[in-house]
Amino acid sequence: MYKKVISLLLISFLTFSLFSSCNQKSAESNNTIKVGWMGSLTGDQAVWGQCELNTVKMLFEEINAKGGVLGKKLEVIGYDTKGDPQEAVNVAKRLTTQDKVVTILGPNQSGSAIPIAPVLEASKVPDIATVATNPKVTVINGKVKLYNFRVCFIDPYQGAVAAGYAADILKVKSAAILYDVGDDYSQGLTQFFEETFTKKGGKIVAKEGFKSGDVDFRPQLSKIKASNPEIIFMPYFFKEVALSSNQARELGITVTLIGGDGWPSDQLLQMAKNAVEGSYFVNHLDFNDPEVQDFKARYKNKYGKEVELNGYLVHDAVLMLVDALKRTGEPNPEKIAKALEETNIKGITGTIKIGKNTHNPEGKEAAIIKIVDGKYIFQQKYTPQ
Amino acid sequence: MTQFLQQLINGLSIGSVYALMAVGYSLVYSIMNFSNFAHGGVIMFGAYFGFFYLTLFRLPFTVALLGAAISTSILAIIIERTAYKPLRNRKAPFLYFIICAMGMSIFLENIIIALPFIGPTFRTYPEIFSKTPIKIGSLAIGRLDLLMFIISSICLGLLVYFIDFTKIGKAIQATSYNIKASALMGINTDFIIITVFALGGFFAGIAGVLFGMKYTVYPQIGVITNKSFIAAVFGGLGSLPGAVIGSILLGIIETFTSGYVSSQYRDLIAFVLLIAILVIRPRGLMGKLNEDKA
Repeated sequence: MYKKVISLLLISFLTFSLFSSCNQKSAESNNTIKVGWMGSLTGDQAVWGQCELNTVKMLFEEINAKGGVLGKKLEVIGYDTKGDPQEAVNVAKRLTTQDKVVTILGPNQSGSAIPIAPVLEASKVPDIATVATNPKVTVINGKVKLYNFRVCFIDPYQGAVAAGYAADILKVKSAAILYDVGDDYSQGLTQFFEETFTKKGGKIVAKEGFKSGDVDFRPQLSKIKASNPEIIFMPYFFKEVALSSNQARELGITVTLIGGDGWPSDQLLQMAKNAVEGSYFVNHLDFNDPEVQDFKARYKNKYGKEVELNGYLVHDAVLMLVDALKRTGEPNPEKIAKALEETNIKGITGTIKIGKNTHNPEGKEAAIIKIVDGKYIFQQKYTPQ
Repeated sequence: MTQFLQQLINGLSIGSVYALMAVGYSLVYSIMNFSNFAHGGVIMFGAYFGFFYLTLFRLPFTVALLGAAISTSILAIIIERTAYKPLRNRKAPFLYFIICAMGMSIFLENIIIALPFIGPTFRTYPEIFSKTPIKIGSLAIGRLDLLMFIISSICLGLLVYFIDFTKIGKAIQATSYNIKASALMGINTDFIIITVFALGGFFAGIAGVLFGMKYTVYPQIGVITNKSFIAAVFGGLGSLPGAVIGSILLGIIETFTSGYVSSQYRDLIAFVLLIAILVIRPRGLMGKLNEDKA
């Protein structure tokens, strides 16, 4: 027994030392700039996370082929958060203390982007979130978080866009909301949809919640059906959107559905093509915009798959980082954070001018997309009044 | 009134999904006296087997359903042989079985994620049955719900027949009374245990395919099966009718709480009720102590 324990201990020591020596080696090489990435590589949102990481890898390869940035090659170190906030904190710690990256790209979820702030502050490494739209990602209690940035617009804006479009353009007077009670993103959109919609004279006739992991929404939908809304707002992600829209149609609900940027995905159309026909959603960009075609083609060429929404945003996050690196002249995380505050670039998703007190891109327009014949058809750019 | 009936239909349909899953928990518990948490993983595998039989091999639905059920039976037997039998041979305490089962369920979930041709993304079954529901007035009954209800009833009926009227079934009952005494009476208890796992696996396969068809297939299906485990406890672990009634009741309670109180209180009310029943009647609704269990 003793022998076994001792040999086990020895083996574990050996493996540990093997790993640690590896780490030291890579830290010594000075010809690369290490950039972290985090997001879901497993779980419901794996499709998006994988697309983000693929995009970053592709862009870095392209940049490196042209000689890199500041004469150095860019290297991405990506870890899976499993969509779990706690795991996100662990990953952030690992990236900042062990891998010593200069900046972190991602995560795409607000739920994961919010809790990593203390880690970033302790290590003074900036983070550029991709599709984390909750206000608390960059600002908390009216104070801006020094190391958190993002490339997307925020929930109040998105909720307001959806409500404004429904009230002013679609001219509906009553709306029902089905939302995920356990999710910051869904709650944020719900709150601001409700505020804007009631301010514009509309009425919320039903507001029903569910919990992440639920697959059956018929009890809530039956209740919503009885309240007779003209439109149903569904501020959550495509898997639940597909399930709930199918179930809504099954129960004989025929009204228009409207949602946020959690909708666009090929999977949604595969699962619920007929159910979401004629629905609207708020998006970060128009997929048919000429500005994005080049990137779209490059991605498809390399990976043989369509690029997801997250790919476009992480593309602009990379642009932000490269721009900041060029302006600071050295891969120093703290200086990069300062430089990010002055960002004013043109990305493929629109102009990204970072506000100093919010760390959000200011004045980015939203795109309204309608699903027609199983295709995403751009309606108009929209800014709520 | 319409809403009441519609919610009742919703509840029955959700409950019948729980029922198919809960039976597997009860079967194993009645013989082995521990909660086989790996059952959730087996159900998830059933959903994937069915999915691949239908999409990759393009088998007709009934063949795919049976194929998935047989595949999961084999999987359940393999799990029993590799994970539980060594523990049984060493007469390990029941706590070890439960921990082993939990480990197995996490293993099953992660092996699916790790397999390169399956991976973590969720998949959708091809549309086999029309999604347009059967309408009675303004009531909507999904075709798939009806089918699930029928398949569940047939399976449960066959199971009751098997247990009450066949020789092996009688042997299962005897083993569930007292495993040692039955062994002394010449019953091959090892074989009985395999049979029970195979039966549980068979139901897991059917439940998995039906669940996957109705919703989607993803590696975390096991989480939903926790609800069906709770339903089995609610009805009385080890009792088959208890598992079915517990499941249907849980489904209905959940739907009515969502429909008439608030969906946010759904789990709260359902679980307070569960705890209350267990406090008042620790063996669950139909569970019998030291009596006829299977």
